[in-house]
Amino acid sequence: MAEDIKLMKGNEAIAHAAIRYGADGYFGYPITPQSEILETLMAEMPWETTGMVVLQAESEVAAINMVYGGAGTGKRVMTSSSSPGISLKQEGISYLAGAELPCLIVNVMRGGPGLGTIQPSQADYFQTVKGGGHGDYRLITLVPSSVQEMADFVGLGFDLAFKYNNPAIILADGIIGQMMEKVVMPPFRPRKTEAEIIAECPWAAQGKLKNRKANIITSLELDPAKMEENNIRFQAKYRKIEENEVRYEEFHCDDAEYLLVAFGSSARICQKVVEIARGEGIKLGLLRPITLWPFPTKAIAAYADKVKGMLSVELNAGQMVEDIRLAVNGKIKVEHFGRLGGIVFTPDEVLAALKEKLF
Amino acid sequence: MKQEIIIAGFGGQGVLSMGKILAYSGLMEGKEVSWMPSYGPEQRGGTANVTVILSDDPISSPILNEYDIVIILNQPSMDKFENKVKPGGILIYDGYGIHTPVKRTDISVYRVDAMDAATEMKNEKAFNMLILGGLLKIVPMVKLENVLLGLKKSLPERHHKLIPMNEAAIKKGMEIIQKM
Repeated sequence: MAEDIKLMKGNEAIAHAAIRYGADGYFGYPITPQSEILETLMAEMPWETTGMVVLQAESEVAAINMVYGGAGTGKRVMTSSSSPGISLKQEGISYLAGAELPCLIVNVMRGGPGLGTIQPSQADYFQTVKGGGHGDYRLITLVPSSVQEMADFVGLGFDLAFKYNNPAIILADGIIGQMMEKVVMPPFRPRKTEAEIIAECPWAAQGKLKNRKANIITSLELDPAKMEENNIRFQAKYRKIEENEVRYEEFHCDDAEYLLVAFGSSARICQKVVEIARGEGIKLGLLRPITLWPFPTKAIAAYADKVKGMLSVELNAGQMVEDIRLAVNGKIKVEHFGRLGGIVFTPDEVLAALKEKLF
Repeated sequence: MKQEIIIAGFGGQGVLSMGKILAYSGLMEGKEVSWMPSYGPEQRGGTANVTVILSDDPISSPILNEYDIVIILNQPSMDKFENKVKPGGILIYDGYGIHTPVKRTDISVYRVDAMDAATEMKNEKAFNMLILGGLLKIVPMVKLENVLLGLKKSLPERHHKLIPMNEAAIKKGMEIIQKM
Protein backbone atom coordinates (compact mmCIF):
# COMPACT_ATOMS: atom_id res chain seq x y z
CA MET A 1 0.00 0.00 0.00
CA ALA A 2 1.43 3.33 -1.05
CA GLU A 3 2.17 5.59 1.89
CA ASP A 4 0.32 8.49 0.27
CA ILE A 5 -3.08 6.77 0.47
CA LYS A 6 -4.92 8.23 3.45
CA LEU A 7 -8.34 7.75 4.99
CA MET A 8 -9.99 11.05 5.74
CA LYS A 9 -13.16 13.14 5.69
CA GLY A 10 -13.92 15.27 2.66
CA ASN A 11 -13.50 18.39 4.77
CA GLU A 12 -10.08 17.28 5.98
CA ALA A 13 -9.07 16.49 2.40
CA ILE A 14 -9.86 20.09 1.37
CA ALA A 15 -7.62 21.45 4.13
CA HIS A 16 -4.67 19.17 3.38
CA ALA A 17 -5.01 19.75 -0.37
CA ALA A 18 -4.98 23.53 0.14
CA ILE A 19 -1.68 23.37 2.03
CA ARG A 20 -0.17 21.03 -0.56
CA TYR A 21 -1.36 23.18 -3.45
CA GLY A 22 0.60 26.10 -2.06
CA ALA A 23 -2.39 28.22 -1.05
CA ASP A 24 -1.38 31.53 0.53
CA GLY A 25 -4.33 32.09 2.82
CA TYR A 26 -7.54 30.69 4.26
CA PHE A 27 -10.09 32.92 5.96
CA GLY A 28 -13.15 31.30 7.50
CA TYR A 29 -15.66 31.08 10.26
CA PRO A 30 -16.88 27.77 11.73
CA ILE A 31 -20.23 26.25 10.78
CA THR A 32 -21.40 22.63 10.64
CA PRO A 33 -20.99 20.53 8.50
CA GLN A 34 -17.69 22.01 7.30
CA SER A 35 -15.90 23.09 10.49
CA GLU A 36 -13.22 20.42 10.01
CA ILE A 37 -11.74 22.50 7.17
CA LEU A 38 -10.76 25.34 9.53
CA GLU A 39 -10.07 22.88 12.36
CA THR A 40 -7.67 20.78 10.25
CA LEU A 41 -5.87 23.85 8.92
CA MET A 42 -5.43 25.15 12.47
CA ALA A 43 -4.13 21.75 13.64
CA GLU A 44 -1.70 21.48 10.71
CA MET A 45 -0.29 24.99 11.42
CA PRO A 46 0.86 25.59 7.82
CA TRP A 47 2.06 29.10 8.77
CA GLU A 48 5.05 27.36 10.31
CA THR A 49 5.83 25.25 7.23
CA THR A 50 4.64 26.77 3.93
CA GLY A 51 3.85 30.20 5.37
CA MET A 52 0.15 29.87 4.54
CA VAL A 53 -2.02 32.19 6.64
CA VAL A 54 -4.99 30.58 8.39
CA LEU A 55 -7.34 32.94 10.12
CA GLN A 56 -10.66 32.58 11.90
CA ALA A 57 -12.39 35.84 11.05
CA GLU A 58 -14.97 37.56 13.24
CA SER A 59 -17.71 36.67 10.77
CA GLU A 60 -18.37 35.23 7.32
CA VAL A 61 -18.65 38.75 5.93
CA ALA A 62 -15.19 39.59 7.26
CA ALA A 63 -13.78 36.32 5.89
CA ILE A 64 -14.95 36.90 2.30
CA ASN A 65 -13.63 40.48 2.41
CA MET A 66 -10.25 39.18 3.59
CA VAL A 67 -10.37 36.92 0.54
CA TYR A 68 -11.18 40.01 -1.58
CA GLY A 69 -8.13 41.78 -0.19
CA GLY A 70 -5.82 38.79 -0.51
CA ALA A 71 -7.01 37.99 -4.04
CA GLY A 72 -6.38 41.59 -5.04
CA THR A 73 -2.68 41.07 -4.35
CA GLY A 74 -2.56 38.01 -6.61
CA LYS A 75 -2.34 35.56 -3.71
CA ARG A 76 -4.04 32.18 -3.77
CA VAL A 77 -6.67 32.68 -1.11
CA MET A 78 -9.77 30.79 -0.13
CA THR A 79 -12.69 30.62 2.25
CA SER A 80 -15.22 27.96 3.16
CA SER A 81 -18.60 27.83 4.84
CA SER A 82 -21.98 26.11 4.73
CA SER A 83 -25.23 27.41 3.27
CA PRO A 84 -26.24 30.17 5.76
CA GLY A 85 -22.63 31.37 5.91
CA ILE A 86 -22.36 31.34 2.12
CA SER A 87 -25.48 33.55 1.97
CA LEU A 88 -23.63 36.06 4.14
CA LYS A 89 -20.69 36.00 1.72
CA GLN A 90 -22.75 36.82 -1.39
CA GLU A 91 -21.97 40.55 -1.47
CA GLY A 92 -18.25 39.81 -1.33
CA ILE A 93 -18.55 37.14 -4.02
CA SER A 94 -20.28 39.60 -6.34
CA TYR A 95 -17.49 42.15 -5.68
CA LEU A 96 -14.81 39.53 -6.39
CA ALA A 97 -16.55 38.62 -9.67
CA GLY A 98 -16.98 42.30 -10.52
CA ALA A 99 -13.29 43.02 -9.85
CA GLU A 100 -12.34 39.87 -11.83
CA LEU A 101 -10.37 38.36 -8.98
CA PRO A 102 -9.43 34.69 -8.71
CA CYS A 103 -10.19 32.90 -5.45
CA LEU A 104 -11.60 29.62 -4.18
CA ILE A 105 -14.83 29.35 -2.20
CA VAL A 106 -16.07 26.11 -0.65
CA ASN A 107 -19.74 25.54 0.24
CA VAL A 108 -20.50 22.32 2.13
CA MET A 109 -24.27 22.59 1.80
CA ARG A 110 -26.80 21.94 4.56
CA GLY A 111 -30.59 22.07 4.57
CA GLY A 112 -32.31 25.46 4.42
CA PRO A 113 -33.84 27.92 4.03
CA GLY A 114 -32.74 30.11 6.91
CA LEU A 115 -30.59 28.48 9.54
CA GLY A 116 -32.37 25.24 8.56
CA THR A 117 -30.61 22.08 9.61
CA ILE A 118 -27.06 20.76 9.69
CA GLN A 119 -27.93 17.72 7.57
CA PRO A 120 -26.89 17.35 3.90
CA SER A 121 -28.72 19.22 1.15
CA GLN A 122 -28.20 20.44 -2.42
CA ALA A 123 -30.61 23.34 -2.24
CA ASP A 124 -27.97 25.99 -3.01
CA TYR A 125 -27.88 25.10 -6.72
CA PHE A 126 -29.80 28.22 -7.75
CA GLN A 127 -27.77 30.43 -5.42
CA THR A 128 -24.51 29.14 -6.87
CA VAL A 129 -25.20 28.92 -10.59
CA LYS A 130 -27.84 31.61 -11.06
CA GLY A 131 -26.31 34.43 -9.09
CA GLY A 132 -26.63 34.57 -5.34
CA GLY A 133 -25.03 37.99 -5.27
CA HIS A 134 -26.19 40.86 -7.47
CA GLY A 135 -25.29 41.55 -11.08
CA ASP A 136 -24.54 39.53 -14.19
CA TYR A 137 -21.77 37.27 -12.98
CA ARG A 138 -20.92 33.58 -12.97
CA LEU A 139 -19.02 31.31 -10.61
CA ILE A 140 -16.99 28.41 -11.95
CA THR A 141 -18.77 25.65 -10.03
CA LEU A 142 -17.03 22.32 -9.34
CA VAL A 143 -19.02 19.55 -7.68
CA PRO A 144 -17.07 16.76 -5.99
CA SER A 145 -18.75 13.40 -5.47
CA SER A 146 -15.92 11.74 -3.55
CA VAL A 147 -13.32 12.61 -0.94
CA GLN A 148 -10.70 12.24 -3.70
CA GLU A 149 -12.43 14.94 -5.71
CA MET A 150 -12.61 17.18 -2.64
CA ALA A 151 -8.80 17.04 -2.65
CA ASP A 152 -8.39 17.27 -6.44
CA PHE A 153 -10.78 20.17 -6.96
CA VAL A 154 -8.84 22.49 -4.66
CA GLY A 155 -6.01 22.61 -7.19
CA LEU A 156 -8.36 22.53 -10.18
CA GLY A 157 -10.49 25.31 -8.65
CA PHE A 158 -7.50 27.58 -8.06
CA ASP A 159 -6.09 26.82 -11.53
CA LEU A 160 -9.37 27.68 -13.27
CA ALA A 161 -9.85 30.78 -11.10
CA PHE A 162 -6.41 32.08 -12.11
CA LYS A 163 -6.83 31.02 -15.74
CA TYR A 164 -9.95 33.16 -16.09
CA ASN A 165 -9.53 35.73 -13.28
CA ASN A 166 -12.81 34.63 -11.79
CA PRO A 167 -13.92 33.15 -8.46
CA ALA A 168 -14.35 29.38 -8.43
CA ILE A 169 -16.52 27.48 -5.97
CA ILE A 170 -16.46 23.88 -4.77
CA LEU A 171 -20.10 22.98 -4.16
CA ALA A 172 -20.12 19.99 -1.79
CA ASP A 173 -22.65 18.84 0.78
CA GLY A 174 -22.72 17.37 4.26
CA ILE A 175 -22.29 13.81 2.99
CA ILE A 176 -19.13 14.46 1.00
CA GLY A 177 -17.79 16.72 3.75
CA GLN A 178 -18.37 14.25 6.59
CA MET A 179 -17.71 10.88 5.00
CA MET A 180 -14.29 9.22 5.12
CA GLU A 181 -12.82 7.53 2.07
CA LYS A 182 -9.43 6.67 0.68
CA VAL A 183 -7.69 9.60 -0.84
CA VAL A 184 -4.38 10.05 -2.61
CA MET A 185 -3.06 13.48 -1.72
CA PRO A 186 -1.68 15.71 -4.47
CA PRO A 187 2.09 16.34 -4.32
CA PHE A 188 3.42 19.32 -2.41
CA ARG A 189 4.16 22.38 -4.47
CA PRO A 190 5.70 25.56 -3.17
CA ARG A 191 3.71 28.76 -2.77
CA LYS A 192 4.25 31.32 -5.52
CA THR A 193 7.01 33.81 -4.83
CA GLU A 194 6.37 37.57 -5.01
CA ALA A 195 8.36 37.69 -8.27
CA GLU A 196 6.22 34.90 -9.77
CA ILE A 197 3.04 36.67 -8.73
CA ILE A 198 4.22 39.97 -10.27
CA ALA A 199 5.09 38.12 -13.50
CA GLU A 200 1.91 36.02 -13.68
CA CYS A 201 -0.61 38.54 -12.33
CA PRO A 202 0.23 41.90 -13.91
CA TRP A 203 -3.13 43.19 -12.62
CA ALA A 204 -2.33 42.48 -8.95
CA ALA A 205 -1.98 45.24 -6.38
CA GLN A 206 1.68 44.76 -5.48
CA GLY A 207 2.56 48.35 -4.71
CA LYS A 208 3.45 50.90 -7.40
CA LEU A 209 6.09 49.26 -9.57
CA LYS A 210 8.49 51.44 -11.62
CA ASN A 211 7.50 49.94 -14.98
CA ARG A 212 3.74 50.45 -14.74
CA LYS A 213 0.96 52.62 -13.39
CA ALA A 214 -0.70 51.74 -10.08
CA ASN A 215 -3.08 48.81 -10.36
CA ILE A 216 -6.54 49.58 -9.06
CA ILE A 217 -8.76 46.74 -7.85
CA THR A 218 -12.41 47.74 -7.84
CA SER A 219 -15.80 46.66 -9.08
CA LEU A 220 -17.01 50.29 -9.13
CA GLU A 221 -17.41 52.11 -12.45
CA LEU A 222 -19.73 55.10 -12.36
CA ASP A 223 -19.62 55.72 -16.14
CA PRO A 224 -22.35 53.38 -17.47
CA ALA A 225 -20.73 53.18 -20.91
CA LYS A 226 -17.54 51.85 -19.32
CA MET A 227 -19.55 49.62 -16.99
CA GLU A 228 -21.27 48.14 -20.02
CA GLU A 229 -17.86 47.51 -21.59
CA ASN A 230 -16.81 45.74 -18.40
CA ASN A 231 -19.92 43.59 -18.51
CA ILE A 232 -19.39 42.75 -22.18
CA ARG A 233 -15.85 41.65 -21.30
CA PHE A 234 -17.18 39.48 -18.45
CA GLN A 235 -19.74 37.89 -20.76
CA ALA A 236 -17.10 37.14 -23.41
CA LYS A 237 -15.05 35.45 -20.71
CA TYR A 238 -18.07 33.45 -19.52
CA ARG A 239 -18.74 32.23 -23.09
CA LYS A 240 -15.10 31.10 -23.29
CA ILE A 241 -15.48 29.19 -20.02
CA GLU A 242 -18.70 27.61 -21.30
CA GLU A 243 -16.81 26.57 -24.43
CA ASN A 244 -13.76 25.12 -22.67
CA GLU A 245 -14.48 24.03 -19.14
CA VAL A 246 -17.59 21.82 -19.14
CA ARG A 247 -16.89 18.63 -17.19
CA TYR A 248 -19.14 15.64 -16.66
CA GLU A 249 -18.99 11.89 -16.22
CA GLU A 250 -21.13 9.16 -17.79
CA PHE A 251 -21.97 5.90 -16.05
CA HIS A 252 -23.58 3.09 -18.10
CA CYS A 253 -24.96 5.60 -20.61
CA ASP A 254 -24.04 3.77 -23.83
CA ASP A 255 -27.19 1.66 -24.17
CA ALA A 256 -29.34 3.59 -21.67
CA GLU A 257 -33.07 3.93 -22.30
CA TYR A 258 -33.52 6.15 -19.26
CA LEU A 259 -31.08 8.61 -17.75
CA LEU A 260 -30.56 9.83 -14.22
CA VAL A 261 -28.88 13.21 -13.92
CA ALA A 262 -27.36 13.85 -10.50
CA PHE A 263 -24.43 15.72 -8.98
CA GLY A 264 -22.28 15.36 -5.87
CA SER A 265 -23.46 12.90 -3.21
CA SER A 266 -26.71 12.29 -5.13
CA ALA A 267 -24.62 10.99 -8.02
CA ARG A 268 -22.99 8.46 -5.68
CA ILE A 269 -26.40 7.24 -4.54
CA CYS A 270 -27.56 7.14 -8.17
CA GLN A 271 -24.62 4.89 -9.13
CA LYS A 272 -26.09 2.33 -6.78
CA VAL A 273 -29.54 2.95 -8.31
CA VAL A 274 -28.10 2.16 -11.76
CA GLU A 275 -26.52 -1.05 -10.39
CA ILE A 276 -29.84 -2.18 -8.85
CA ALA A 277 -31.86 -1.19 -11.95
CA ARG A 278 -29.47 -3.00 -14.30
CA GLY A 279 -29.91 -6.07 -12.08
CA GLU A 280 -33.64 -5.82 -12.79
CA GLY A 281 -33.00 -5.51 -16.53
CA ILE A 282 -33.74 -1.77 -16.72
CA LYS A 283 -31.35 0.00 -19.09
CA LEU A 284 -30.54 2.94 -16.85
CA GLY A 285 -27.60 5.32 -17.11
CA LEU A 286 -26.29 8.21 -15.04
CA LEU A 287 -24.92 11.52 -16.23
CA ARG A 288 -23.05 13.35 -13.50
CA PRO A 289 -22.30 17.03 -14.10
CA ILE A 290 -18.92 17.79 -12.51
CA THR A 291 -19.25 21.47 -13.40
CA LEU A 292 -22.70 22.91 -12.68
CA TRP A 293 -21.58 26.14 -14.32
CA PRO A 294 -20.65 25.74 -17.06
CA PHE A 295 -23.48 23.21 -17.33
CA PRO A 296 -23.13 20.17 -19.65
CA THR A 297 -26.02 21.42 -21.78
CA LYS A 298 -24.77 19.93 -25.06
CA ALA A 299 -24.16 16.48 -23.59
CA ILE A 300 -27.63 16.40 -22.05
CA ALA A 301 -29.24 17.70 -25.26
CA ALA A 302 -27.53 14.87 -27.19
CA TYR A 303 -29.07 12.28 -24.86
CA ALA A 304 -32.53 13.72 -25.54
CA ASP A 305 -32.29 11.96 -28.94
CA LYS A 306 -31.27 8.65 -27.39
CA VAL A 307 -33.25 8.06 -24.20
CA LYS A 308 -36.97 7.93 -23.38
CA GLY A 309 -36.84 10.08 -20.28
CA MET A 310 -34.62 11.73 -17.70
CA LEU A 311 -34.90 12.00 -13.94
CA SER A 312 -33.07 14.80 -12.18
CA VAL A 313 -32.18 13.48 -8.74
CA GLU A 314 -31.32 16.27 -6.30
CA LEU A 315 -31.44 16.87 -2.55
CA ASN A 316 -33.77 19.83 -3.14
CA ALA A 317 -37.23 20.67 -4.47
CA GLY A 318 -36.15 20.76 -8.13
CA GLN A 319 -33.44 23.20 -9.20
CA MET A 320 -31.04 21.57 -11.70
CA VAL A 321 -34.10 20.04 -13.39
CA GLU A 322 -34.81 23.48 -14.88
CA ASP A 323 -31.46 23.53 -16.68
CA ILE A 324 -31.98 19.96 -17.89
CA ARG A 325 -35.39 20.92 -19.28
CA LEU A 326 -33.82 23.90 -21.07
CA ALA A 327 -31.19 21.60 -22.58
CA VAL A 328 -33.75 18.96 -23.62
CA ASN A 329 -36.14 21.64 -24.90
CA GLY A 330 -39.30 19.57 -24.64
CA LYS A 331 -38.06 16.58 -26.67
CA ILE A 332 -38.55 14.02 -23.90
CA LYS A 333 -40.03 13.84 -20.43
CA VAL A 334 -37.81 15.29 -17.70
CA GLU A 335 -38.92 14.75 -14.10
CA HIS A 336 -37.43 15.57 -10.73
CA PHE A 337 -37.06 13.56 -7.54
CA GLY A 338 -35.74 14.96 -4.31
CA ARG A 339 -35.90 14.91 -0.54
CA LEU A 340 -35.92 18.15 1.37
CA GLY A 341 -34.52 19.85 4.41
CA GLY A 342 -31.62 17.50 5.14
CA ILE A 343 -33.29 14.13 4.49
CA VAL A 344 -31.23 11.94 2.16
CA PHE A 345 -32.95 9.53 -0.23
CA THR A 346 -31.98 5.86 -0.33
CA PRO A 347 -31.27 4.09 -3.66
CA ASP A 348 -34.65 2.29 -3.39
CA GLU A 349 -36.57 5.54 -3.12
CA VAL A 350 -34.86 6.89 -6.25
CA LEU A 351 -35.63 3.72 -8.21
CA ALA A 352 -39.27 3.80 -7.11
CA ALA A 353 -39.51 7.46 -8.19
CA LEU A 354 -37.99 6.62 -11.59
CA LYS A 355 -40.62 3.92 -12.18
CA GLU A 356 -43.47 6.09 -10.94
CA LYS A 357 -42.56 9.21 -12.89
CA LEU A 358 -41.13 7.89 -16.16
CA PHE A 359 -42.45 4.37 -16.85
CA MET B 1 -16.22 -9.25 -1.88
CA LYS B 2 -18.18 -6.43 -0.26
CA GLN B 3 -19.38 -5.93 3.33
CA GLU B 4 -22.05 -3.32 3.96
CA ILE B 5 -22.27 -2.67 7.69
CA ILE B 6 -24.14 -0.32 9.99
CA ILE B 7 -23.27 0.16 13.66
CA ALA B 8 -26.00 1.86 15.68
CA GLY B 9 -26.28 2.78 19.34
CA PHE B 10 -26.02 5.64 21.80
CA GLY B 11 -23.54 8.50 21.41
CA GLY B 12 -20.66 7.82 23.79
CA GLN B 13 -20.68 4.04 23.20
CA GLY B 14 -17.85 4.37 20.71
CA VAL B 15 -20.04 3.72 17.67
CA LEU B 16 -18.24 6.15 15.37
CA SER B 17 -14.77 5.17 16.58
CA MET B 18 -15.49 1.46 16.17
CA GLY B 19 -16.52 2.23 12.60
CA LYS B 20 -13.37 4.25 12.13
CA ILE B 21 -11.15 1.43 13.38
CA LEU B 22 -12.94 -1.01 11.07
CA ALA B 23 -12.49 1.38 8.15
CA TYR B 24 -8.79 1.84 8.92
CA SER B 25 -8.38 -1.93 9.21
CA GLY B 26 -9.93 -2.27 5.75
CA LEU B 27 -7.53 0.37 4.45
CA MET B 28 -4.60 -1.63 5.88
CA GLU B 29 -5.99 -4.70 4.15
CA GLY B 30 -5.87 -2.82 0.84
CA LYS B 31 -9.66 -2.61 0.50
CA GLU B 32 -11.85 0.23 -0.72
CA VAL B 33 -13.57 1.77 2.30
CA SER B 34 -16.26 4.28 3.10
CA TRP B 35 -17.25 5.60 6.54
CA MET B 36 -20.41 7.68 6.70
CA PRO B 37 -21.47 8.92 10.14
CA SER B 38 -24.82 10.25 11.22
CA TYR B 39 -23.67 13.70 12.23
CA GLY B 40 -26.84 15.15 13.71
CA PRO B 41 -26.76 17.09 16.95
CA GLU B 42 -25.55 13.88 18.61
CA GLN B 43 -24.35 13.94 22.15
CA ARG B 44 -23.65 11.47 24.89
CA GLY B 45 -26.90 9.54 25.34
CA GLY B 46 -28.39 10.49 21.94
CA THR B 47 -28.50 8.01 19.08
CA ALA B 48 -25.58 7.67 16.70
CA ASN B 49 -24.85 5.41 13.78
CA VAL B 50 -22.20 4.88 11.16
CA THR B 51 -22.25 3.05 7.84
CA VAL B 52 -19.00 1.30 6.96
CA ILE B 53 -18.43 -0.36 3.60
CA LEU B 54 -15.39 -2.54 2.91
CA SER B 55 -15.06 -3.70 -0.67
CA ASP B 56 -12.62 -5.13 -3.19
CA ASP B 57 -14.18 -2.88 -5.85
CA PRO B 58 -14.86 0.87 -5.91
CA ILE B 59 -17.82 1.81 -3.70
CA SER B 60 -20.82 3.54 -5.26
CA SER B 61 -23.26 4.86 -2.67
CA PRO B 62 -22.19 5.54 0.93
CA ILE B 63 -25.93 5.60 1.78
CA LEU B 64 -27.67 2.21 1.69
CA ASN B 65 -31.15 0.67 1.77
CA GLU B 66 -30.12 -2.44 3.68
CA TYR B 67 -27.02 -4.03 5.13
CA ASP B 68 -25.14 -7.33 5.18
CA ILE B 69 -24.33 -6.79 8.85
CA VAL B 70 -26.25 -4.73 11.39
CA ILE B 71 -24.69 -4.14 14.80
CA ILE B 72 -27.21 -2.93 17.36
CA LEU B 73 -26.20 -1.47 20.69
CA ASN B 74 -29.47 -0.06 22.05
CA GLN B 75 -33.24 -0.51 21.84
CA PRO B 76 -34.03 2.49 19.57
CA SER B 77 -31.51 1.13 17.05
CA MET B 78 -33.11 -2.34 17.23
CA ASP B 79 -36.48 -0.75 16.43
CA LYS B 80 -34.99 1.17 13.52
CA PHE B 81 -32.55 -1.28 11.93
CA GLU B 82 -33.80 -4.86 12.52
CA ASN B 83 -35.71 -4.63 9.24
CA LYS B 84 -32.70 -3.28 7.37
CA VAL B 85 -30.72 -6.54 7.49
CA LYS B 86 -30.57 -8.18 4.06
CA PRO B 87 -32.28 -11.59 3.96
CA GLY B 88 -29.58 -14.08 4.95
CA GLY B 89 -27.61 -11.29 6.60
CA ILE B 90 -26.26 -10.94 10.11
CA LEU B 91 -27.53 -9.08 13.17
CA ILE B 92 -25.24 -8.70 16.16
CA TYR B 93 -26.47 -7.08 19.36
CA ASP B 94 -25.35 -6.35 22.87
CA GLY B 95 -27.74 -7.99 25.34
CA TYR B 96 -27.69 -5.05 27.75
CA GLY B 97 -30.60 -2.67 27.32
CA ILE B 98 -32.35 -4.62 24.54
CA HIS B 99 -35.89 -5.44 25.68
CA THR B 100 -37.46 -6.99 22.60
CA PRO B 101 -36.31 -10.30 21.12
CA VAL B 102 -35.25 -10.30 17.45
CA LYS B 103 -38.29 -11.16 15.31
CA ARG B 104 -36.53 -11.89 12.02
CA THR B 105 -36.08 -15.57 11.22
CA ASP B 106 -34.41 -15.17 7.83
CA ILE B 107 -31.14 -13.83 9.25
CA SER B 108 -28.35 -15.06 11.55
CA VAL B 109 -28.52 -13.46 14.99
CA TYR B 110 -25.60 -13.20 17.41
CA ARG B 111 -25.32 -11.74 20.86
CA VAL B 112 -22.21 -10.27 22.49
CA ASP B 113 -22.64 -9.34 26.14
CA ALA B 114 -20.06 -6.62 25.77
CA MET B 115 -21.45 -4.29 28.42
CA ASP B 116 -21.20 -7.05 31.04
CA ALA B 117 -17.71 -8.02 29.88
CA ALA B 118 -16.55 -4.40 29.91
CA THR B 119 -17.85 -4.01 33.46
CA GLU B 120 -16.05 -7.21 34.43
CA MET B 121 -12.85 -5.86 32.83
CA LYS B 122 -13.46 -2.65 34.83
CA ASN B 123 -13.03 -0.76 31.57
CA GLU B 124 -16.17 0.58 29.95
CA LYS B 125 -14.05 1.99 27.09
CA ALA B 126 -13.34 -1.61 26.00
CA PHE B 127 -17.03 -1.92 25.06
CA ASN B 128 -16.77 -1.18 21.35
CA MET B 129 -13.66 -3.36 20.91
CA LEU B 130 -15.49 -6.29 22.51
CA ILE B 131 -18.21 -5.84 19.91
CA LEU B 132 -15.62 -5.54 17.13
CA GLY B 133 -14.00 -8.77 18.32
CA GLY B 134 -17.37 -10.53 18.15
CA LEU B 135 -17.95 -9.24 14.63
CA LEU B 136 -14.51 -10.38 13.45
CA LYS B 137 -15.07 -13.85 14.90
CA ILE B 138 -18.27 -14.26 12.86
CA VAL B 139 -17.05 -12.50 9.72
CA PRO B 140 -13.22 -12.37 9.59
CA MET B 141 -13.30 -9.61 6.98
CA VAL B 142 -9.96 -8.17 8.11
CA LYS B 143 -6.96 -9.86 9.71
CA LEU B 144 -6.29 -9.11 13.38
CA GLU B 145 -2.83 -7.75 12.52
CA ASN B 146 -4.47 -5.21 10.21
CA VAL B 147 -6.97 -4.27 12.93
CA LEU B 148 -4.02 -3.51 15.22
CA LEU B 149 -2.44 -1.44 12.44
CA GLY B 150 -5.81 0.26 11.96
CA LEU B 151 -5.95 1.04 15.68
CA LYS B 152 -2.53 2.58 15.47
CA LYS B 153 -3.58 4.74 12.51
CA SER B 154 -6.87 5.89 13.98
CA LEU B 155 -5.74 6.58 17.54
CA PRO B 156 -3.69 9.66 18.33
CA GLU B 157 -0.13 8.73 19.35
CA ARG B 158 -0.70 9.56 23.02
CA HIS B 159 -3.27 6.75 23.12
CA HIS B 160 -1.05 4.10 21.52
CA LYS B 161 -0.31 2.68 24.98
CA LEU B 162 -3.96 1.58 25.01
CA ILE B 163 -3.53 -0.72 22.00
CA PRO B 164 -2.73 -3.86 24.08
CA MET B 165 -5.90 -3.29 26.14
CA ASN B 166 -7.90 -2.94 22.91
CA GLU B 167 -6.32 -6.11 21.51
CA ALA B 168 -7.28 -7.99 24.69
CA ALA B 169 -10.85 -6.69 24.39
CA ILE B 170 -11.07 -7.77 20.74
CA LYS B 171 -9.89 -11.29 21.68
CA LYS B 172 -12.34 -11.41 24.60
CA GLY B 173 -15.16 -10.37 22.24
CA MET B 174 -14.24 -13.24 19.94
CA GLU B 175 -14.67 -15.63 22.89
CA ILE B 176 -17.98 -14.37 24.25
CA ILE B 177 -20.04 -13.94 21.06
CA GLN B 178 -22.82 -16.54 20.89
CA LYS B 179 -25.27 -17.61 18.21
CA MET B 180 -28.90 -17.14 19.18
